[in-house]
Amino acid sequence: MAMDTNKKNRELISALCDGEIPDVDQELALAALDTPEGRQAWALFHQIGDVLRADPATDLSPGFTERMAARLAAEPLPGKRAAVADAAAGQATVAADPT
Amino acid sequence: MTTERECDQLLVERVQAGDRRAFDLLVAKYQRRLMRLVSRLVHDPAEAEDVVQETFIKAFRALRHFRGDSAFYTWLYRIGINTAKNFLVTQGRRAPTSTEADAERAEGFDDADSLRDINTPESMLASKQIAYTVNAAMEALPLELRTAIVLREIEGLSYEEISEVMACPIGTVRSRIFRAREVIAEKLRPLLDISADKRR
Repeated sequence: MAMDTNKKNRELISALCDGEIPDVDQELALAALDTPEGRQAWALFHQIGDVLRADPATDLSPGFTERMAARLAAEPLPGKRAAVADAAAGQATVAADPT
Repeated sequence: MTTERECDQLLVERVQAGDRRAFDLLVAKYQRRLMRLVSRLVHDPAEAEDVVQETFIKAFRALRHFRGDSAFYTWLYRIGINTAKNFLVTQGRRAPTSTEADAERAEGFDDADSLRDINTPESMLASKQIAYTVNAAMEALPLELRTAIVLREIEGLSYEEISEVMACPIGTVRSRIFRAREVIAEKLRPLLDISADKRR
């Protein structure tokens, strides 16, 4: 039971780290932060984010932009959105997911 | 003042009106961000680049259906993530589970001894080990957890935006990010304990 509470508290702290804590949970999250375990989780979660952001991104190879432009140039223009036709087909609120 | 989202929407509408060059502007803006995201999912740089290229082509073809209900970049990221997933499936790969790969990688920190040999300051070695451990743990995460934490920590998306990109409820986003952090933190704790011991 205590383990579940601790885990729940760490989840609140995780959301707090992201500025995504709902108002209703704010007090609980701040109380969780007021414990050694809570403070350790807060520090670790921020450290993980800092390390991830510090990792150098993989660069695109030279000439990517030109190759991309050449492929796009071979594509037919997508044209105007078919809002009326799609709305008639009942798809008005669904964004296309081409995958 | 035009927001970034409005600016993207203007470019999208120009493409929809027949201006190809407007899409080149969107490619120029998002190609590195997309590569940064995709290369966290598909590790081989050449393969990741192919996925980025396919993503833009799919986005271009589908642009006529894009209405601006979501931001262009969340829509683009969603296509990118699905394209990466499909690529991994067709390559016969699967997202690793946390029981493999990471353990192997964590033990394979080959630089450690050589760094000690050349008398590198301990703090530098420690931060390299921490970075290595975090990134190895990241790579071993299931794809859904890895995607969620990358979108949050590296791309800086809100939970709501991530829920749009990953097509899941905000509560699931919160849980996935937390679970990802828990797994990584678990790998990191022993390392930090060791560092603390050494400082005594």
